[in-house]
Amino acid sequence: MSDHAAPTGWVGRPLKRLEDPRFLRGRATYIDDLALPGLLHVAMLRSPHAHARIQRLDASAAAALPGVAAVLTGEDVARAMPPLRPLIPIPNPPRTYPLAVGRVRYVGEPLAAVAACDRATAEDAVELIRAEYERLPAVVDPERALAPDAPVLFEEMGSNVLWHDTFVYGDVDGAFAAARHVVRERFTIHRYVSTALETFGVIAQVEPGTGLVTIWSNDQRPGLTSGVVAAALGVPQNRLRLLALDIGGGFGNKRKAPYLILAALLARATGRPVKYVEDRRENLAALAHAANGVMEAALALDGDGRFLAIALRDVVDEGANLQNPTLHSLLKLGNIVNCYRIGAVRFEAYSVLTTKCPSGANRGIGKPAMCFAIERLVDLAARRLGRDPADLRLANFIQPSELPWETPVGASYDSGDFPETLRRALALADYEGLRAAQAAARREGRLLGIGIAAAIEPGTSNLSSYMLATGTGGTSGVGEAALVRVELDGSVRVATGNVASGQGYPTVVAQIVADELGVTPPDVVVSPWFDSHENPWMFSSGSFSNKFSGTDTGAIVGAARAVRDKILALAAHLLEAAPADLELRDGAAAVRGAPDRRVTLAQVASVAYRDLLALPPGAAGGLEARYYYVHPAATRPDAARRVGVQLTFSNSAHVVAVELDRATGALRFLAYAIAHDCGREINPLLVEGMVHGSTAHGIGATLLEEFVYDDEGQLLTTTFLDYLKPTALDVPPFRVAALESPTPRTALGAKGVGEGGAIPSLAAIANAVEDALAPLGVTLPRLPLTPERLWEAIRRA
Amino acid sequence: MTRHAISVSVNGAPRTATVDARLSLLDCLRGEWGLTGTHAGCEHGVCGACTVLLDGEPVRSCLLLAVQAAGARVTTIEGLAPAEDLHPVQQGFWECHGLQCGFCTPGMVLTAVDLLARVPDPSEAEIRAALAGNLCMCTGYENIVRAVRWAAARAREARA
Ligand code: FES
Ligand code: FES
Repeated sequence: MSDHAAPTGWVGRPLKRLEDPRFLRGRATYIDDLALPGLLHVAMLRSPHAHARIQRLDASAAAALPGVAAVLTGEDVARAMPPLRPLIPIPNPPRTYPLAVGRVRYVGEPLAAVAACDRATAEDAVELIRAEYERLPAVVDPERALAPDAPVLFEEMGSNVLWHDTFVYGDVDGAFAAARHVVRERFTIHRYVSTALETFGVIAQVEPGTGLVTIWSNDQRPGLTSGVVAAALGVPQNRLRLLALDIGGGFGNKRKAPYLILAALLARATGRPVKYVEDRRENLAALAHAANGVMEAALALDGDGRFLAIALRDVVDEGANLQNPTLHSLLKLGNIVNCYRIGAVRFEAYSVLTTKCPSGANRGIGKPAMCFAIERLVDLAARRLGRDPADLRLANFIQPSELPWETPVGASYDSGDFPETLRRALALADYEGLRAAQAAARREGRLLGIGIAAAIEPGTSNLSSYMLATGTGGTSGVGEAALVRVELDGSVRVATGNVASGQGYPTVVAQIVADELGVTPPDVVVSPWFDSHENPWMFSSGSFSNKFSGTDTGAIVGAARAVRDKILALAAHLLEAAPADLELRDGAAAVRGAPDRRVTLAQVASVAYRDLLALPPGAAGGLEARYYYVHPAATRPDAARRVGVQLTFSNSAHVVAVELDRATGALRFLAYAIAHDCGREINPLLVEGMVHGSTAHGIGATLLEEFVYDDEGQLLTTTFLDYLKPTALDVPPFRVAALESPTPRTALGAKGVGEGGAIPSLAAIANAVEDALAPLGVTLPRLPLTPERLWEAIRRA
Repeated sequence: MTRHAISVSVNGAPRTATVDARLSLLDCLRGEWGLTGTHAGCEHGVCGACTVLLDGEPVRSCLLLAVQAAGARVTTIEGLAPAEDLHPVQQGFWECHGLQCGFCTPGMVLTAVDLLARVPDPSEAEIRAALAGNLCMCTGYENIVRAVRWAAARAREARA
């Protein structure tokens, strides 16, 4: 572990982003900026009810409206495609489609789609569709949904339970029996989502001659989506060209194959290109929510305050999500022991359907809730034992000398210094000073609290972990692909299977390749956009699970080194030297120690592509390589069901001080300190931006954001006026310290940082609020900790 | 639906269109005039992504009808600086990494330009208050605040 090491090349430098000027000038191309001749616009009829039988759906008046080119209902779609295939096998799988057939199961579920000459006309037409419903009872609460007499969403399934399983690692019963202390708590996890500022969108075009289907979208997992869409449309993947342009934020939510399919079906039906872009209401009601649920957690401790075992019963409310349930559960399982030396684990997981928006991936998926549960338990234990919460954590951390450390569930922690990370955050916040200020404030009757949370931030999901839920293979490991090409004039071009949505990949990739090829980052153009018929890609291609540092770096370095070897071989031939005596620098290959014996990349490329008879006899031309990197640490679950759900492990500690206003319940941050370690930082400027942004997501989730459903399943928060996002006034200034413990498990020693602060911030702030409320003897309200809830709590005292 | 012929001075050049009365200024800028730097983040007046300057004042173009802008002067992000230049606020966003996905950036930049025109040397609290009507989902605001400060300092140096 060290602070930033002095970089020797471009990697490690806080380079400002190469791609920024076009964004700053308003010249980016997001999906809604793309216009095609003859483009039709889509609007959808969406369910006003949580659960209802569709009695009648008459779209004839809509279809007759001038300007309307096509209307599709669920029945039409069901005739045009096979049912959507869930990613995990479910017994008696229900047949579902991009539009509801027969029944609606959440407010906002689409039933019909209209394509018209412009959006306003399409929306007018939607209002002309006659829909009659027979309402059915809603099921909103996930524990109620488990009851045998609960209304069932899919009768063919027989119940609302998508998945139920119990995992036991180590002697949990023994540990709890021997424990001196057991702290238990039931945590209600609320629904929220990151809400990228750009909503989801798609444009589809079908070329009648070749049958080529071209789809532009801001889907952030093209590798996965391509197969789903091709299967639904009945076209082979060599006839489906999937593209992504600039993406206005992703955070996991930007994935919706059903909308891509629907747009393509409308394009087929009309023979014209078709665009659908969600409005914000549709986005909040129907794209995806981070799952809510109930976590009943218990931590066993011995007489010295050492953590012995953790047990969790976890009910995950998937809403009406049949596509990828179990996601939240598996990621919680992988992260359950956090930074602690805990020897035994029991995890009972339920994935349950309710009549709410489908759950989906959202920055950290399940890990914010998992970290919240364990870090709240640790604070409750500290209070019970009369220990300082920092000391109790320090006494239970896995020590740097113990790494690599295999947790009971099979995660293998690679690098880091958890105690030092916390000490750095404490110092940054002036923990001693804050405690003194707190004592003084309490004497005046003021409510000042200090909260701590420590977190593991895993990265790079091992897709084999799905086997824990599915029991079947077919998808395993994780990887990414890259292409590096030196063009005829010596300029360098790179493309990968990933899509950028603000992470700065074009800059970071250029830094990596510049080092490998001896050029500067501006010499390297990284394709900002994805094209499935141009970019190299594989199933796991795309932006998810903090995987850039884990897999993309490996692919980029792999491809760049292969090109480097070609350059060296060719240059050695031209210079009549041995490849081993050459080095690449300043855009040329030169003999070490004899700098005027050199050939530029342009000269080498000229031979590779044009002056072909100057190639060594029999040698292939070209200066290009593709590399399909497979992460070497991924395994399948073993017989004891141990598996690395994720493969790299960053860590962080947040120390937060807040003051609550007794009269209003308003919360004010006095300090927000973050120490984090994501291994080698390829670009510290961008890393720190990720830390800020992810922490702000956690602050929003903790203090403001909640999707509220009433008992009838009506969603009450459908605009940014009632689904509140944090503004510049809600987010405090951050103090950030970076540690760097390079991991041996990735190509450059870097680890994930995208989820970052979204994981520990909920717990840190909640712990601070509880500490502030402690003199009043009231318990912490559930999240989000709105002024109203805090005021109620203060008033109850 | 009544149609209206409007003319607006956009980024210093006259623009005309014949539009439905219900067309928003946002949709007119993007759809009629191809100025796609102005973004739709919510279309209900909360996020500020659609901010443009109307006769020098920041407005939410999603809440204005195009017909309301007839005869006015509109500045969008595309018109803030001459082609290959960056306005000092844009430069500040670049230097301080004040953008990630860039979707909020045009609205943020124009809001900050307006702030600095009114308050050349704003405090951190003034900057945060001025930006509180613009949502950014990516940056956590810290670097946006730094970017505005950077631009203010640059202007200070220019004045000195
Ligand atoms: S799009 Fe106008 S305020 Fe959000
Ligand atoms: S940079 Fe993405 S919303 Fe601000």
